[in-house]
This record gives sequence, structure tokens and C-alpha cells, in this order.
Amino acid sequence: GGVCVWGSARRPGGRYFPGAPSTYRASSSLPDEKKEFLQNGPELEDFVSGDFSDKSMWTEYKGNLKRQKGERLRLPPWLKTEIPVGKNYNKLKSTLRSLNLHTVCEEARCPNIGECWGGGEYATATATIMLMGDTCTRGCRFCSVKTAKNPPPLDLNEPYNTAKAIAEWGLDYVVLTSVDRDDILDGGAEHFAKTVSHLKERNSKILVECLTPDFRGDLKAVEKVALSGLDVYAHNVETVPELQRKIRDPRANFKQSLQVLKHAKKVQPDVISKTSIMLGLGETDEQVYSTMKLLREADVDCLTLGQYMQPTKRHLKVEEYVTPDKFKHWEKVGNQLGFHYTASGPLVRSSYKAGEFFLKNLVEKRKTKVI
Amino acid sequence: MAGRRPRKGGGGTEALGPLAGGKCWRVGWGGADRVAVSVSSASSIFSMWLALTSCNLFDSSVDRMTVHFINRDGERLTATAKEGESLLEVVVNQNLGIDGFGACEGTLACSTCHLIFEEDVFQKLDTITDEELDMLDLAYGLTDTSRLGCQVCVKKAMDGLTVQVPVEVADMRRELEVEKQSK
Repeated sequence: GGVCVWGSARRPGGRYFPGAPSTYRASSSLPDEKKEFLQNGPELEDFVSGDFSDKSMWTEYKGNLKRQKGERLRLPPWLKTEIPVGKNYNKLKSTLRSLNLHTVCEEARCPNIGECWGGGEYATATATIMLMGDTCTRGCRFCSVKTAKNPPPLDLNEPYNTAKAIAEWGLDYVVLTSVDRDDILDGGAEHFAKTVSHLKERNSKILVECLTPDFRGDLKAVEKVALSGLDVYAHNVETVPELQRKIRDPRANFKQSLQVLKHAKKVQPDVISKTSIMLGLGETDEQVYSTMKLLREADVDCLTLGQYMQPTKRHLKVEEYVTPDKFKHWEKVGNQLGFHYTASGPLVRSSYKAGEFFLKNLVEKRKTKVI
Repeated sequence: MAGRRPRKGGGGTEALGPLAGGKCWRVGWGGADRVAVSVSSASSIFSMWLALTSCNLFDSSVDRMTVHFINRDGERLTATAKEGESLLEVVVNQNLGIDGFGACEGTLACSTCHLIFEEDVFQKLDTITDEELDMLDLAYGLTDTSRLGCQVCVKKAMDGLTVQVPVEVADMRRELEVEKQSK
């Protein structure tokens, strides 16, 4: 739970702030409306009480959701998350460091890190392991993963170490992802595939999802990964075709990404394909809908939709904060279009609880059907 | 400059020579260096400190140049820059409102710091490298006077420089849409 220092609920109409004077002494040089604003505004306890996701308050939020010229939007309440703390979180962090592993959770500053790593009551802790180092060869304008022209060479022990670590954790669903490595001949496909096969060797029951790069459109590389034994092949298109050039690195594009997804299915028909779109970058509803149709036509099985959040000041500003209700609408649309699963919500990310349970079921169903 | 910089990664400092104001010798070599220094006065300690730290100690004596950025929406942003700072560093350090700029942090792995220069300024810039050219080629809206901001360092002669931040493909499309609708 959150921190609640003062231990007192806010009483309607009055302010309760132990140890402080009962009337608020506003500066006399302020204009009247500002004084009133301060009198009726939030108190310290509102910030420290830990009442982040009071859903009944979301519809009352009056802040601006669509960016005007020159403005930077404030974070709406449904996107506020708790600071990650806890035993599970620390344990995961130290295991990762000791084995020299990286997670996209940390590198890309995911807001769900506390929740996923913490594990919660029923779910086991999940982390998305980032293979091939923490430095990418491309600079996309929405991503805060480090970039370099020539990142350090691959750690040849990584496939083995990763498999070992995951086996130690006893996870039954794991997501492997990587940075783009345009400096490597096959884009790192062999490295990826080896990790999956090591994993499956150690634990054949584990479900593996791979969120791969586009390998610069090299379909042989896609094939290598698709045939490595994984269960879910994921590759993110990130946004609608109209915004690809703006938000992604110019070496990436919609057609190429769609090809990757189609090819994975072609060479391994049993695999489940999955993709992800970020909302809030300036796309229109028509564009989102037509993109979803294109994806379904390419036989992509699962879709996740999440809110883009600006990671640093060097990255793109958020154009719009899409409401939770709107996300629910897209979920309905996705289900209508026939996706096996549409995970849609402001904090949903490609591998956030992305129907782990559901996919687990789905994969088992498919396996038994085949037999 | 007098004296030598401390060696990175090793043990202590190298021989400081006469700057230490007295005898100075190195004990041992490699691994755990130890330097025994005998100093004769406080001013020598100060000089030693000066030698050990980097050059730009007194920022106030460094000149600052004025640079203007014309943002994508036409807004003119003005900032001051130190000599030798890259234009990307200026944007980031001065917190200019140009978003999606410098995604790769100046490692020549993207083209988001693409800037358009005036012809006469462009001619005076340092020669473009192959690495920069490779990335610049991928930039949208490339012109004959385009460069990557992370590779252009501010020089004294560039005081009052004006550069244009290129409009993006999405913005162009939006403009066309608006035109279409207004017809």
C-alpha cells in the first residue's frame, strides 16, 4: 500500500492537519482568486496519503487531456503509480545485477515495475529480460533505452545465464526482449534463439514470449527466432502507419514490422503472434481503427494498447492522455475484430500481465488441439 | 598546463614535478601507486589542486554566444551557449521546448537533431564525417544546408546564429488535411 503519514482521512469541508494552524495563512500579496485556489486546493496529506487510484475520482478530473501549442500536459490521476519497494522487488534487482542481466523494465523506465516485480498476491513476479545488452543501435523518439553506434559486443554467456536465472526464479511465463543490434550480421537472432532453446531445455513447461526487433526486415533472422521453440512471437508496430516516420527510427516502418509478424506465423503456424500500439502521440480514432484492421488481417492474434508517456525531456511530448474509458472502448473494438485478446489500458504495456494467464490457457488449448 | 592530470583507474597521482613546491616522488608502479609529496606552502597545495582538476574552472570568464532556434511551429527560441558546446547540448542544457530532439544522446545513431542552417553559416561549418552523413541521409526534410545538431559545435563566430528545426512529415500531413478541410 502507499504511505499514509498523518493517518487521518480528509474531512469534507474542513482541513485536518495535526500540528498546523487551523486556518491557512495565504500571502497577502496574492490576488483574491489565487488565495481562494490555495484555500481550497490540496493539502500535504493529499500527496502523502497514498490514495492514487481512487477510480471514482477519474471522471471528475478536469485537467487538460489534449496538448495545446507550447503546453506540456500534466499527468492525469489514472497514470500515477506507487514507488516500487519491497522484498520481491529488491530480490529481483539483486539477482539481475549479480548475473549481469538487464531488464527493459529498468532501461525504459516502465511505470509498472513495482507491480510486476513485486508479484502481488497471486501472480508470481515477472520481469522482461532484455537480451544483448542495454544499449541499442537506433534512437527512437519515444524510447529512453541508451543508444550508441557501436554498443559493447555480445556476452556469449548470456543465453546460458539467462536460462539459468529464469530457471532459478521458477517463473512459468517469461518475456524475452532485446535492443536493436544493427551492428550484428543477423541482428542477434542466433543469440535470441539460443536463449530460448537453453530455456526450454532447462524447463520444457515454461512459456516463452519473445518481443523481437525487426532485424532490418531480414526474414531469415525472423525464422531463426520463430523456430527456436518459443510460444508467443511478439513484435511491436508501436503506432499507426501515418506516425511511423515521426516517432520511430527511420530504419523501422509499418510494412516491415507487419512482414515480421506475418513471416513468423508462416514458418511456425502454431506460434501466437502479438503486437502493441502506443496511444497519445497524435493519432486519430480512424487511424487506430484501420491499423487494428490491418493487424487482424495479417492474422496477428493478440494486441496491447497503452498510453505513451514521455520518458525524458529529449523525447516526444505527450499529445493526448487517453481516458481509461476510451481504452475500454478499444478493448471492445479489438474483441469485435476477432483478436484472441486485446489488453487495453493506460498502463498496459506489451508484456504487462498481458493475459499471462489467458495466453497460458490459449497455448495449452492449441497444443491439445494439435494432438 | 603545468603538472600532470591524475591517471584514471590506477592508484594515486603521478609525479607532480616542481608544481608541488618541493620534492615529489612516485613509490611503486602499476596497481597501487602511492605518491609521497612534500609541500612547502599552502599555495603549492592550491596549485596542485588546480593541476589536478579540469581546465574550465572559472566559467564566468568563458564567453557565451547567443543562438536562435526556429521551432517547428515557427516560434523563435533564444538560448546562450558556451564555446565548444554542441547545438544538441544547448537545446538540452537550456531546456528549450524542442521535443523528440536528440533521442540517441549525440551518438550518431539517429537523425532527430537534424537542423537547417543558413547558407553562409553552413559553408563555414566543419567538414561532415561519413558517420554523420549516414545518419543525416535518413532525416526527413533533408536540405542542402542540413546538419546534425550533435555534431555542430558553437564557435565564437557563430554568435547570433539562427537555425531552423525541420517540420516533420506528420505535421506536413496535418497541414494538408487542414487545407483540404477548409476548402
